Amino acid sequence: MMKQPGPEKVLKEQKIDEKYWDKWEREGGWRPVGWKIIEMNDGTTLNNLKPSQFMVVHRPHADFYHHSYGKVSKFFMGLLEGKLYGTKCPKCGLVYCPPRAHCFNPKCRLAETEWIELPKKGEVYSYTIMVIAWPSMAHLQPLVGVMVRVDGTNTCLPMTMRDIDPEKVNIGLKVNIHVEKQARGDLLDVYATPAEEPKPPQRTPEELKRFRDDMEKTRAWVKKTFG
Amino acid sequence: MAKKVGIVAGSISRFDNPRHTLQEEMCAEAVKMILDDLPDLEIGDFIKKGYACCYSYFSDILEQQQCMHWIIHDYLGLSAVPAYRVESGGATPIDAIVNAALWVRSGMFPVVLVVGWEKMNELPIQKVNEAIAIAGDTDWDFVSGFTYNAFYATLEARRMHVYGETEEDLAEVATLCHNNSLDNPYAQWPAQHGFSKITVEDVYKSRLISWPYRLYECAMTSEGASAMLLANEEMTRKLTDNPVWITGVGFGTDTMRPGDRPDNPAWKGLYPEDEKIWPKEIPRPMSPYPDLTNFGSLRVAARMAYKDAGVKNPRKEISLVEIFDPYAGVVLAGLEDFDFCKRGEGKKLLREGVIAPDGELPCQLSGALTAQGHAVGSTSVAQVVDVYWQLSNQIGKKWGAPGRQLGNPKKGFIHGHGGTGCQAGAVVLEV
Repeated sequence: MMKQPGPEKVLKEQKIDEKYWDKWEREGGWRPVGWKIIEMNDGTTLNNLKPSQFMVVHRPHADFYHHSYGKVSKFFMGLLEGKLYGTKCPKCGLVYCPPRAHCFNPKCRLAETEWIELPKKGEVYSYTIMVIAWPSMAHLQPLVGVMVRVDGTNTCLPMTMRDIDPEKVNIGLKVNIHVEKQARGDLLDVYATPAEEPKPPQRTPEELKRFRDDMEKTRAWVKKTFG
Repeated sequence: MAKKVGIVAGSISRFDNPRHTLQEEMCAEAVKMILDDLPDLEIGDFIKKGYACCYSYFSDILEQQQCMHWIIHDYLGLSAVPAYRVESGGATPIDAIVNAALWVRSGMFPVVLVVGWEKMNELPIQKVNEAIAIAGDTDWDFVSGFTYNAFYATLEARRMHVYGETEEDLAEVATLCHNNSLDNPYAQWPAQHGFSKITVEDVYKSRLISWPYRLYECAMTSEGASAMLLANEEMTRKLTDNPVWITGVGFGTDTMRPGDRPDNPAWKGLYPEDEKIWPKEIPRPMSPYPDLTNFGSLRVAARMAYKDAGVKNPRKEISLVEIFDPYAGVVLAGLEDFDFCKRGEGKKLLREGVIAPDGELPCQLSGALTAQGHAVGSTSVAQVVDVYWQLSNQIGKKWGAPGRQLGNPKKGFIHGHGGTGCQAGAVVLEV
């Protein structure tokens, strides 16, 4: 017998300030808020440039998305409770974090997976030190980014790492995984800290000096920009 | 089925940032150069004689416009002519060429025009990075705080760990590309920074972006357009007496998220020779190739293109290569994935000068993404055009730099890819 899927019932909600976001969307509404007229050389190759004049408008555009996490919603509902969930294929046993609702092993013919709670422990599979991060995270630079293989999984989860000297992070480092106390419901709620004394990668004296100079410059910029 | 696809003409409206020229105007500039090269080609022929167009641009967000190709198409005087857009991230332009070549081969269209462009100066640079980064998985990759710079940096950190690549190798790649671009009048690096050679020390002085990558080791963000006219054998011979042939095309894929690659059962056993090459002291993932060290999609695309073109020994047969290098380490990984050497040995080809302009296998003669520029939809079209000009002995005329024309090259290989190697395409060109 056919049934209708709706209407949707709200079980729990973190409300948004609709007035604030309405205003923000309206202000980011495509009409120019300024302009300039400029002169610059123009041409199809550097062998045929000629001075030309152009007009540039400053045109804001703001969007506000409402995104459902679908069948992997449980992962994000877990974050709200400080828990880490993954999925496991009942046929081949692959464990996913990021979770998949369907197994991608070609042999399993898109078998539906099952939820399991994961330990908040893992190992660094690869890493980077970000000194140009998202604008909203710029004050945290230099930011250690790690691909973490959560214990017992067959995948890596990208996250940032805290409480570590950037020059010491290395592949193979065991980490603890944490969920922010005030979880907002995306992957940025998750971060790692070292679970053991780190063994830094080998660097030549020149590489080490360059690395330290880079970190110093980044910290000085952050201090100057954000206080 | 008509197997032979000819390149009749190619053009570039230069890379720079900003260009202060609208997308349709840059495309018109590029197509006009093709019309200037081919006085017998009429725009009206496209509808009368059943030709088609294939458009290449990456981002509706960067352009602040959806269906931009509809604007381009009628601007060029081509309304009514069959056309559509191909989009697959950074692989967009190479996939457009592959697509157009397959159209010609199908026998459906005797002539296909490919036009690629991008505008990347409309948003502030952090937002440009963000617009590019949301070609990564926005639920699982992007929201970790990583940009593409950061993801490619983690891939390179793994190459350093597993293969022993060094910061110096990366700086040497960047130096090679930048110095190669200095005679290229379509390149953004000399347009912005002048015409002097750079050294490894200059690369080290450029700012760190995401360790190990520094500014000069990352693609530029650019504006520009380029175009190519492809045709079946009969039409190619009618329109030009200096043709180059696309004899092989290929494309391949890998996972959206690089983190899903180490144990991905889909790769296990696909390339057993590569799986054997793995250092004992490093824990072996379930699928050791490609892991995060290499790009499986590039391998699939390259082997398909070689097979298609009948290339048996790429290292011996290919005269020059253009690798799609958004980051310097991709040149080294690419050399391995394209079978120019074994995995882990890309750095050897660099250190031994094999890929230098006077080496056995010159690479990145245009300067490629870090120096010629990376106006995404135009990038690989321009790289293919650069190789086409080399193979048809036109560098003197098109660059105004006859000293940069290779002596008698026979075959060229060009690849492009999108994401972290989520999608890749490749073509083999022959005189």
